[in-house]
Order: sequence, then structure tokens, then C-alpha cells
Amino acid sequence: MISSINTAKILFVAALISACAPVQPWERGNLAKPQMALDPYPLQSALRAHNYGSREAAAGGNAAQGGGCGCY
Amino acid sequence: MGVINRTAKKRYFKASLIKSFDKLRTNGNLLGSAALSPFVVRLSNHLCRNRYERKQQANRFLKKPECNSLHALTAAALVLPGLMQPILVNATEDDSVDFQYSHYQEGKRDIYQGVYFSDLTAGISGINGSHKQSYNNPIEVDSVHGSGRFSLTDRIKFSFNYLQDTWSGATPVGTAPALLSANGSYSPEIVNSGASPYGSPSIPTVYIDNKGNMYGVKNSFIDGSNTIGAQSNQITHVMSYASPETRKQGDFSLSYDWDEAAVNVGGGISVENDYESRFVNLGGRMDFNQKQTTVNVGVSYTNSDTFAKLDPDSLNFISTEGYDEQYFDDTDGSYKGYRPIAGAPGQIESDYTSLSDGGNFRSSAILHGKRQDWGTQLGLTQVLTSESTMELGFGYTRSTGYLANPYKLVYFLSGTLNVGDDPNAPILYNTGGGARLEKRPEERNQFNWNLGYNHYLPFFDAALHFDYRFSHDDWGINAHTFEADWVQPLGTGWTATPRIRYYSQSGADFYTPFVKTLAVNDPATGEKVNSPYTREAPEFYSSDQRLSGFGALSGGVTIAKQFGKGVSLETGFEYYTHQGNLKIGGGGEQAFADYDYWVANAALKLNLEAAGAPGSSTGHISHHQHSNSPAGVMFDHALEKSGDFMVGYRYMRSEQAGNMLLGSHSISPDNTRNNGCGDQACAVAPKSMVMNMHMLDLMVAPTDWFSLMLMPQWMDMNMDMTPLSGFVSQTGHNHGGSTHNHQTGGIGDTGLYALFKLFDQPNQHLTLSLGGTAPTGDVDIKLRTTSSITNKVKNVPLHYGMQLGSGTWDFKPSLTYTGEADSFIWGAQATGTKRLESRNSAGFAFGDSFQGSVWGGYQWTNWLTTTVRGIYATQGSIRGEYPAVYYANRKPPQEFKLIHVGPFDKTNNYGGKFWDLGLGVNINIPHGTFAGNSLKFEWLQPVHTDYNGYQLDRDYTFNFTWSYGF
Repeated sequence: MISSINTAKILFVAALISACAPVQPWERGNLAKPQMALDPYPLQSALRAHNYGSREAAAGGNAAQGGGCGCY
Repeated sequence: MGVINRTAKKRYFKASLIKSFDKLRTNGNLLGSAALSPFVVRLSNHLCRNRYERKQQANRFLKKPECNSLHALTAAALVLPGLMQPILVNATEDDSVDFQYSHYQEGKRDIYQGVYFSDLTAGISGINGSHKQSYNNPIEVDSVHGSGRFSLTDRIKFSFNYLQDTWSGATPVGTAPALLSANGSYSPEIVNSGASPYGSPSIPTVYIDNKGNMYGVKNSFIDGSNTIGAQSNQITHVMSYASPETRKQGDFSLSYDWDEAAVNVGGGISVENDYESRFVNLGGRMDFNQKQTTVNVGVSYTNSDTFAKLDPDSLNFISTEGYDEQYFDDTDGSYKGYRPIAGAPGQIESDYTSLSDGGNFRSSAILHGKRQDWGTQLGLTQVLTSESTMELGFGYTRSTGYLANPYKLVYFLSGTLNVGDDPNAPILYNTGGGARLEKRPEERNQFNWNLGYNHYLPFFDAALHFDYRFSHDDWGINAHTFEADWVQPLGTGWTATPRIRYYSQSGADFYTPFVKTLAVNDPATGEKVNSPYTREAPEFYSSDQRLSGFGALSGGVTIAKQFGKGVSLETGFEYYTHQGNLKIGGGGEQAFADYDYWVANAALKLNLEAAGAPGSSTGHISHHQHSNSPAGVMFDHALEKSGDFMVGYRYMRSEQAGNMLLGSHSISPDNTRNNGCGDQACAVAPKSMVMNMHMLDLMVAPTDWFSLMLMPQWMDMNMDMTPLSGFVSQTGHNHGGSTHNHQTGGIGDTGLYALFKLFDQPNQHLTLSLGGTAPTGDVDIKLRTTSSITNKVKNVPLHYGMQLGSGTWDFKPSLTYTGEADSFIWGAQATGTKRLESRNSAGFAFGDSFQGSVWGGYQWTNWLTTTVRGIYATQGSIRGEYPAVYYANRKPPQEFKLIHVGPFDKTNNYGGKFWDLGLGVNINIPHGTFAGNSLKFEWLQPVHTDYNGYQLDRDYTFNFTWSYGF
């Protein structure tokens, strides 16, 4: 309970004042692992975004990617 | 930060780095030697500005670089924080080349037909009730995606993507009450007769009461009166089958990196038969606060044109109201046709065919529309702790212009209530002028916000990714997306990533399954009166399921395997279900609109830097890894030594154009029409035919004298046809007089070969290749016949030459001799194809073939060679043929004879003897940024052609190959 409140606090504060919780470069070993990449499978993500984009109304947030009509 | 004293900090720095290295080591085989790890401390962060300098530094530090461990070290160093910039990026930023194939398959949909009944003794007939059916041929899409990223300089990176989608199958064009029988009617006793496509325009087909309940109509053929039938509220999608179509997209991006910032500019184009869109984007990135915070901004612009040919088959059953209007001559009042409405979102250009009675009918219509999209994005990525990061994003997209889908229809039901009639009694409705083209607002503003959270779990060595997105627009659509991935490394390079996604949207304000209008008339005057019961047509309307309220749940898994030498394979599967009742808060569309799909994909990824970066000793590229034969020559060399690996890409484009030939002589259109199609007259002749083949060339050498080659391939074809004037079909009209076009595309046959070095001297080589192709390409692609809807004919098989594979297991032996002396190269090859089966599953087999070629070349410099090649090839005609096509549900069975045939529909018009001259250029890049890459181009010019039967003359063949050995 307490830790989840803390997490929420950290999340919130860090978003506002990013200098607040410094994580030194040498502490970022885990963050640099491939599984922690923001998008571990960019090729597949592009494909999935295209499929969702041609089946759903919401913008995927990547309107700059083209993608054609998807008129099927 | 300055409080901590320097020595203490240094010690801590080193200790934590070793610690993180230990963790890295357990993560896979990245690190060769743990003892090397302290050096990395010195290599990290502040010393080196870029990757190449870093590698040189590594060499200096490690006096005697042992290639594998050095390689591992640099690879490991690259994933260390502070070395790679920025740390929070989309996977690898290294130079790389990727290929991906995917298959999208929709499930069958339930559709409903009206139940036809007829009672001869009572003298009534009509539609009463609904009948559920499963609709075959659901849509499927084959996609190929190739991409590359290259560092042009230390700071400038170039990347490109090429995508190609081909789809075919049935898709909903609209939604209607089942009682309209828009999918045809069903009768348990009587054989299905010609159904009215898209519903009968004027026949009353449904009673609707004021609660929205719908009832069948019983029509007396004695006095023409209508009575109320059984209730059926079922509504249904109205399906239409689309012949294969292809979309191609190319885009690029150029970026410039500073240490803590980057800018990129990109653009591209997407081309379809009926849609073209061009886009540009500009983006920037800034890192703050020791790269704990990254801010991204982006702006994009897309400009698109629609030029959609409205289905000529359905043109007389649909209404283009709102887009154009009928008009009459000013002087004599005669009917002139349709003209576009100024200011309408889309402009329709119509063509007419004259009838013998002096009238005309609209035989073709093309809808032109323009659209623009502006998008902006703002993103923030933040390191929260040593185990978690967060993303925040905001995006705004503004779209203007023609935003509708030209192939979607909305069914209008119009009824009339006379003043004085009981408004609560069911009222008779009809479909008026037919289903209308959908109409959407010409402006849309979409906003979206997203929140992402990524957490590393040390116990599992796994990462959890969570994303939430909210999207809102001024069409009334609010959408929520929740997505979670669990990326789990499994050791020895394997990673499994299960994922789940939930999406929910509310419907657009103007979404409606169908439109009901009610006019209230004064029975005395027949004039419309204002009444509370009056229902006017809305300004905008769409029945597109994408704009309805629904929820979607999907889940899948991705399996990735990282091999040594920078090669990784990825495969994924996802299942997606769209259901009205999954919408958050309920109120989604009814179950008739539910459907599902699955997607499977496989990707090959090559990290060129890890594989053999310039400067590292594993990156040495042997000259013999690449053959110097012309681009069109395959199977000419095995790899040099055991353990070698080569990846290549081959592209072949060939085009036919010009005159029709009989054997080797040009013939007239009349000759083709009368004789080219056997016992029938030809309706069309090919005008041009383009074939593109993309092949992956993957080679490994298990031993020094033997290599294995796997060659998956993708094909796409496009044929333009021209009608042969003078052709008159049984139905009395030729098809509009304009050119039309057929397209196919998708995965082709897959080759597997073994290459043996029979003779291998420094200057002379003899290579035997044994292997063949597996029938992975489609041979049963269907074409929608022009009368399929009205006559209920099954779709007919597409021309033999446009199927994507042979359908048979094919044996393809090949023997190649190559030689070189001084700067000269030469070679000769004999290769053949023997079909191992006499028929494929579609009923035919292509002819066997043989090809012999001889070439010579001169190497001008160490990187440039030019070649000349002479080729002779022969191929037999097709054996067997497609089975006859029958009308659906006719008793007794009746054969459907396709009228709309061309010479390509006859099996004896395939194959022949061919002589070609080839001119080629080979470029092998020995050093620099692109060292190890080899590019070859070859142009083949037909010299002489001797066809079997009637075929279109050959124009050229172009071969391109790229290969990279390591």
C-alpha cells in the first residue's frame, strides 16, 4: 500500500520536476537492456498499428506514418 | 551532486558498473570475458564521442584484441547506459536491415438473408423472416516490409522502409435489415434466383412500427395489396467481394544527432489503384538532466487523393445523392446525365454507354476526393528509478477534405404516413433510390493522450510495459486503449513476449446501421406537411463498422531469437476479436457486426554493426563471399568456408508491353479477338503486364564444400487489359470501353537448395545446385466476375499467369562454371525446372523450362565490374486447366461460361522460346561505411521471342541484388 503510494508520488513528482529523483548513468544498466526498450519490436509494432488503424477510429498518434486508405 | 567527493564517487561508479555488467552477462552471451569489464569504466561516458572512436579506444586498451571477446565487448558496451545515445530509444539504432512478412486473416462473418416464400393457392409471395449464413472468402492481407538504417557519417543517419500489402476477399459495403434481402434471398424449397443486389430500389420490403420493430411484407399477386408478415428485427452486413489489390509504400528518414539532441526529417508516398497519399514529417529530440528526461516533438503533413472507381456492377442500384445530380438540357429538356455538385466533398466523373433505343445508362463513375492531415505530437520520456521509465504523450491531428470511404454505402428506408393514419401501426418502407454513398463531415479534429510505464523486474530479468491511451475527436468518438506486454528473456538468445490489449470506442454521432426517413403527407393534396412524426435524412451518415461503438480484445505472443553475428529472428501471432458488447459501458453495435481476425508475422533482422562492423576483425569481408556474376545469375557460388553466412535480397521486375504476338509475329486486334481464345471470341487483350519479385537469399555453409540456401519470395503482378473493339457479348454491351486492370500479390513459392563445389580452384569454379521450390504461393486466387452479384456466380479463377506460385513441387537443378583471370571474368550456366506433379490443386501445371546463359565481364577497379550476358530459355505450355465454374444453386447444375476472356485464359498461350541480351553492373564496396555490401544491376533486353500461341510481346527484365556476407 505504502509502496504503491510512493510509486504514485514518484511518478507524479518526477513528471513535474524531472531533476528530483536523479538516476545516475551507471545505475541505468537495467534500463538499457533490450527488454526495457520503449518499443522492443518496432517492425511488429508498425504492422500492428497499421492493422488497428485500419479497423478502429482512434488515431494511433502516428499520423505522420502515411499508411494509405486501408479501404477494405 | 557536487557534495560527494570524487574518489568515493569513482569507486562507487566502478563497483556499480561491474555489478550491472554481471547482470548483463546473465542476460545472454553478450560478454565474452568478465575480466574485461573494468575497462569499460574507462570507455564509458566522457571519453569518446562516437562509436568508431570508441571502438578504436577499445583496441588501444586491449593491446591484443582477441576478436570474439572484443566484439562481444563492443556489443556489450553499446547496450550500456551513457554510451548509447539516447538511452531511451526504439530498440536498436545500429545500422541494420530488416525484412518482415505478415499474413492477416479475417474470420468468416455471419450474414442474414430474407426468407422468400410463395403460396400459389393463396396468391401471395414475399419476404418473411431471416436466414443466417456464413459468408466465405473473408478478407486476407499479405504484407511485406523491408527496412534499412545506415549511418552516413557519425552523426547523420538514413533510414528507409518499403511496404507492400495485397488484399482480397469480402468486406461489408453496408448494413441493412435482413428483410431487404440485400445479400440475396433464401428459400428452403425454391432454388435461389437472381437476387436484387443491394436491395430492390422501389419494392416495399419491410414494415416498421414506431418502436423500430420490423416485419416482412406479404404481397398479393392478385390485387397487389400488401399485408404485414412475421417480425424479424435482424440486421446484417451486406457483403461484397473484392478482387486482389495492392498498396505500395516507400518512405525515408534522415536524422542528425548531437550528443543530447537530434532532429529528423522524413517523407514518403503510398500508392494504390484508387488512393495515393504523400507525407512529410519533421521531428526533434532533446535530452535533459543527464538524459533522464527526453522531450520529443513532431509535426507531420499528409496529402491524399482518392480516385475510386465505383463498382460498375452496382452503379445502377446505388445512389450518389449528395455527390452529384441528374441534369437536363436547358432547351429541349432532354436527360443529359449526372453532373458533380459544386462544393461536394467528392466529385464524381461519369461515363455513359448508349443503348440501341437512343437512351443511355451510366456505365462508369469515378469518385475524386482530396484530403489533408496535419498532425503534431509532443512526448516526454522520463527515467523514474533505476528500474522504471515513463512516457507521456499528446497528439493532435486535424483532417480536412473528403474523409469518407468511397466503397461504403448507407441504406435509406423511406416511408410515408398519411395524416389521419394511425402512427402506431407498422408503416411500409422502401429503399427509395437505393443505398447511398456514405457522407461524412469534411473536418475532423482528433486529440490523444497516452501514458506509458515500463518496469524492470530483476527477479525475472523481465520487463513489463503498460500503455494507456485516450483519444477524443469532434465526431463524437472517445476511445480507450489499454495494453500490456511482458518481455521475458529465456536465455541463449530467446525472448518470449506475451501481450494483451483492450480497446473500446463510442460511435460517431453520424454512425447509423441504416437511415429511416418518414414523410407525413396530407392525403387530400398529396403534399408534405410538418408533423412531429416527420423524420428527415441526416446531413451526415455512415454505416462503417469502424465508426460504430464497439470493444476489441486482442492478445498474442512474440518469440524472438538472437543468433550470433547480429542475426535475429522474430515471429508473432495475434488474435483480435471485435464485439459490440465489449464496449465500455455497453451500448455498442449489435452482434451482427462482430468479427475477428488473426495476424501472423515473421521477421529477419540483421544488425550490420554487430555482424561485421568495419574496424573489427570479424568484419573482414572475403572477396569470394560475393560472386561477380551478373545480377540475374543465381546458384553460381557456394560460400567459402564452413560457418560462413550470407544474406541477400534479389529483386526482379519484368514487363510485357507492345503488340500481341502469334509465335514471333505481330498480329492485329481482330486476329487476337477471333483466334486467340480458342472456341470463344476474346473480349480483352493484355495491354501491359508487370511482374515484381522480391526474394530473400539466405545461405549458410555447414561444410567448406557445401552450402544450403533458403529462398522465400514474394510476388506482385499487375495487368492492364484493353477491350477488343467489335466484341459483343451475349448481354449486349462491352465493359465500358476503358482499360481495366487486375492485380495480385503475396507470398510466392519457397526455394530450398544445396550448392556443391564440384571444382574449386582460385580462378575456376564449378558449382552444382540441387533443390527446388515448395508450392507455398497461391494458385487459386479468384476474380470477381462482373456479374457475380446479379447472377450469383461463384468467383472465377484468375488467369494462370497471375497466380503467385506454380502449385507444384518443382525440381530446379543448375550447373554453373565461373572463371577469372587478370581483370576478366566469365561464366556459363545451365538451369532447368521440372514440375514433379502433373497437376496442382487448382487443376493445372506450368510447363517445364530450361535456361542456358553465357557471360563475360571486365573488372575496371576493385569495386566496379561490368558484364555482358547472352541467354536462351524455353518453357512448355500449361498442362491441365481450371475446372469448369457452375452457377451457384442452379438445378440441374449449369456451367457458367466466362465471356470476359482474354488469350491469357487459354493454357496453350503460355511458354515459348526466348533469346535475351543482358548488360550488367556489379558494385562491391570494399571499405568505408558500407563495406561488405555488394550491389548488382542487370538489364535484359529481349532479342527474339517465339511464343506458344497468342501472347503479349516482352519489353524488358531488370534484376537487382544486394548481398552482405559475414
